[in-house]
Amino acid sequence: MSEVSRRHFLKLGACVVGGACAADALPSLGQAADNGDVTTLRTTLPYPRLKLAAIGQLTTEHELLTTYPDQASPVVLVKLGRPAHNGVGPDRDIVAFSRRCSHMGGALAFRAETGTFHCPLHYAMFDARKGGLMVIGQATDNLPQIELEVDTTGDIYAVGVKGLLYGRQANMLA
Amino acid sequence: MSSTYHGEDRVPIPPADAQQFTTVCSYCIVGCGYKVYKWPLGKEGGPLPHQNALKADYRRQQPEQAGTWISPAMHSVITERNGQRFNIVVLPDKDCVVNKGNHSVRGGTHGDVLYAPDRPTADRLTHPLLYRGQSQLPTTWDEAIELGALVIKASLDKWGSDTIAMKFFDHGGGGGGFENNWAAGKFFFTGIGTKMASIHNRPAYNSEVFASGDAGIAPLPSAYLDAELADTIMVIGANSYETQSIYFLEHMLPNLGGGTLPLKQQLLPGEPHAHGRMIIVDPRRTSTVAVAEAHAGKDNVLHLQINNGTDIALLNALSRLIHEQGWHDQEFIARRTENFAAFQAANLAQNLDEAVRLTGISKAQMMTAAEWIAKPKVNTARRRTLFLYEKGLIWGLKNYENVASVVDLALLTGNLGKPGTGCGRLGGHQEGYSRPAYPGQRPPVNVDEIAIKGGASKVFWVAGCNPAGGTLNAQQFRAYLAHRTALVNQALDATSSGSLNDRMAAVMTALDKGGLFLIVQDIYPIETAKYAHIVFPAAQWGEMNLTSINGERRLRLYQQFMDAPGIAEPDWKIMARMAQRLESAYRAEGKAEMAARFSGFTWTSDEEVFRAASAGVKGAQEDYGDTTYAMLKALGTNGVQTPVQEIRQGMPVGTTRLYMDEKQFTFIPSAWPGFPPQIQKLIDDPRYPFWVNNGRANHGWQTLYDDLRKPYVMGRAPFPHVEIHPQDARSLDIANGDLIELFNPYGTVSAMAVVTDSNAPGHVFMLFEHPKGWLNSLTTDYVDPATTIPYYKGTKAGIRKLGELPGLGEQLSFIPTNRT
Repeated sequence: MSEVSRRHFLKLGACVVGGACAADALPSLGQAADNGDVTTLRTTLPYPRLKLAAIGQLTTEHELLTTYPDQASPVVLVKLGRPAHNGVGPDRDIVAFSRRCSHMGGALAFRAETGTFHCPLHYAMFDARKGGLMVIGQATDNLPQIELEVDTTGDIYAVGVKGLLYGRQANMLA
Repeated sequence: MSSTYHGEDRVPIPPADAQQFTTVCSYCIVGCGYKVYKWPLGKEGGPLPHQNALKADYRRQQPEQAGTWISPAMHSVITERNGQRFNIVVLPDKDCVVNKGNHSVRGGTHGDVLYAPDRPTADRLTHPLLYRGQSQLPTTWDEAIELGALVIKASLDKWGSDTIAMKFFDHGGGGGGFENNWAAGKFFFTGIGTKMASIHNRPAYNSEVFASGDAGIAPLPSAYLDAELADTIMVIGANSYETQSIYFLEHMLPNLGGGTLPLKQQLLPGEPHAHGRMIIVDPRRTSTVAVAEAHAGKDNVLHLQINNGTDIALLNALSRLIHEQGWHDQEFIARRTENFAAFQAANLAQNLDEAVRLTGISKAQMMTAAEWIAKPKVNTARRRTLFLYEKGLIWGLKNYENVASVVDLALLTGNLGKPGTGCGRLGGHQEGYSRPAYPGQRPPVNVDEIAIKGGASKVFWVAGCNPAGGTLNAQQFRAYLAHRTALVNQALDATSSGSLNDRMAAVMTALDKGGLFLIVQDIYPIETAKYAHIVFPAAQWGEMNLTSINGERRLRLYQQFMDAPGIAEPDWKIMARMAQRLESAYRAEGKAEMAARFSGFTWTSDEEVFRAASAGVKGAQEDYGDTTYAMLKALGTNGVQTPVQEIRQGMPVGTTRLYMDEKQFTFIPSAWPGFPPQIQKLIDDPRYPFWVNNGRANHGWQTLYDDLRKPYVMGRAPFPHVEIHPQDARSLDIANGDLIELFNPYGTVSAMAVVTDSNAPGHVFMLFEHPKGWLNSLTTDYVDPATTIPYYKGTKAGIRKLGELPGLGEQLSFIPTNRT
């Protein structure tokens, strides 16, 4: 499945990714189907490739707290137990997100029974299975998701960030 | 699968020499302050504090709530009329006392809706359009105004003032502002003189709170400070976390959490203080209920899950309980009110058992509410209760009595004109009303019925609203609109002449045979514009200077910071163009009196209109007196709270809270009236078993006119949603994300199911406005005969499953929003 960033939206016209196209709500713009050729988001920043954990360290629904791409950026790695958008690992259920709310930077708490992140500041809620989709709240973007890779030994690496981390002008600090 | 998101991992920051402007959110009544930064494309500020306009050190992670973080949705690249390109950042202002740097998902995404020819806003209306041969084609202002003036003048001369109908914005913020409202009112009331006027999303020219006005209470008497000082906040018919988000988060919640205790002790010494409590009257368990409970603890939040349409019975029962306990404010009633006897005979006669049966709320819950509203804290200190209501009450069963019953409750308990009290609207749009007097009577004429469906008007000018979907009984309205405008299309199609006079003659023949000439003025090609013969492109927020007030009467200047697209113009200029053309036409015929009616539109700046509009607010809650743009510019995002009492040392002196004086009020008797025949017929018909309540949702604003251009929003709301109870969903075999149909004798609409226990079984909730399914296709034609305000919030329908839409369930999240 493809990911489409806003840059691609501009090029293609507005469309809800994932098959349901909202383009005819925008009559004068072009339509675009879910195009398999659309590449995943290409980051322009030099993200480090950092090992976050080994698969064996993770137990379902338990968070592992770490940082990425630097120590000032708390992230949470979690095995959800159900397949998730951009999930990695044999069950496609391992995901990682920034722990700073994309509204105003509140420290998020994970709730395993719903698979959601919750902000104590203004009660935003994000769905870990749906790529950090904001379920409700006042954030203007989904929760930034950490791009993960798993190597043949089962080590999980962070390789990039989708979306701008709260409190930064660029995800990599100058 | 994925959902839509912005995806950038960096944003440009404004350089130290970026141009700076102050403005206010274009959307809801709360009116959060924003700063706008503008600088040439290709340039960026640096990470060191002296290298950027925010004076922030971007080498470091900014702390939470810093007010210096620019989200990608707050940034855009625009192209001005001269081709120059600029970065724009619209950032919440941490120095504004309304929002303190906070923002909703609506206001925080302004970057996404600035006009840009290479972004989803590319479909803004850029040029006037004229109906030509089954199309709407671009034309010049002169040509469009000329044909419009010919048809308006010929109709006015032949059939009189009421032949010209209008449905216009009348609000503030992106919904108009004092400038545009004054020009529109002067054109239609002084110029045309029509009674066939209607406002925004309603069928007539009316206040939504006539009863409050009759009681002597302006719609917005309190300050947001009062929500920080109240002992109890009673919210009736509003989902404030989602619809007045920042008022709720920045002013109500801190009180519920005890954060304002020091302020209470400081400003209100000599009485006991505690964390605030909240009573929420809503047929749904909303996110507002959940968030209030999470913040205040369940013991301090009382959700009265009322049956649709029974507010009057509830509020009168509360009045009765309070009066029986002797908790009413006898001193206030005696000194500052009249007509108590009539109130006693009507409201206090509410039978309590009947109220329990009608409302579905237990006597114990009613008693708790009565205590929280009025049981004195100590012998010498009454509770300070702030009553805040919005569309659930205003658009409820019977507008006049609905509003009267809460106003009466506030008067009974003496909750006006004191810190921490009040009784007013939460509000939808901001306000910015200033117009010459409407020439019609009360109750105002139902323009939808009489002028459009009934044919009494032949020209219909619609601006800044979308009645094809947004008015009551909208399916029937669309049918008339389509039929009557098509008669004009056919006449124009049959005209082979290039002369506008010949076209006007053809139009007049069609109007004589029942046709309707439609002018639509908007920023986008909305659904109503599809039927139009002339489309005028308007400027929006940020493209002109405008002024408005928020929900605590805070007047501010919303500065222009960019060009309008193409040759679009501010609404006031469009009205002035048409008025000047009519004035010269009448002058050419020697009709001096008619010419005079259309004179005085020679303004050359936004501020000239603002000054002219001060005549229309004299003595009202909006009265801004001699305030100028320069004063407001100096006051920035904090502005001044109207009414302005005087100009002292060159600056306006405002009013924090109304009625601190000895102002007198009147009780308005109101008894529960029962259901009107249209609704009773639906109640009695087993084919329509579901009550259909409706309202707004957090991420969208109004008709979604801007949101349709925000992929982040539409990715979450590709269709309108219907919340249905799991029990009902089971019996209809409906699952999350299924497409369903709702139907009744008034129309049909499709929507997406969301299975949740937010409503009681047998009750569903649908999003009020969405271009892919208008709830109003189901609403009846019933209006309160006293006010001509519709009962939008209550209709009944049958529901059937249409099927699944592949992928939708994966794309969206169906985790309940009313849990924390």
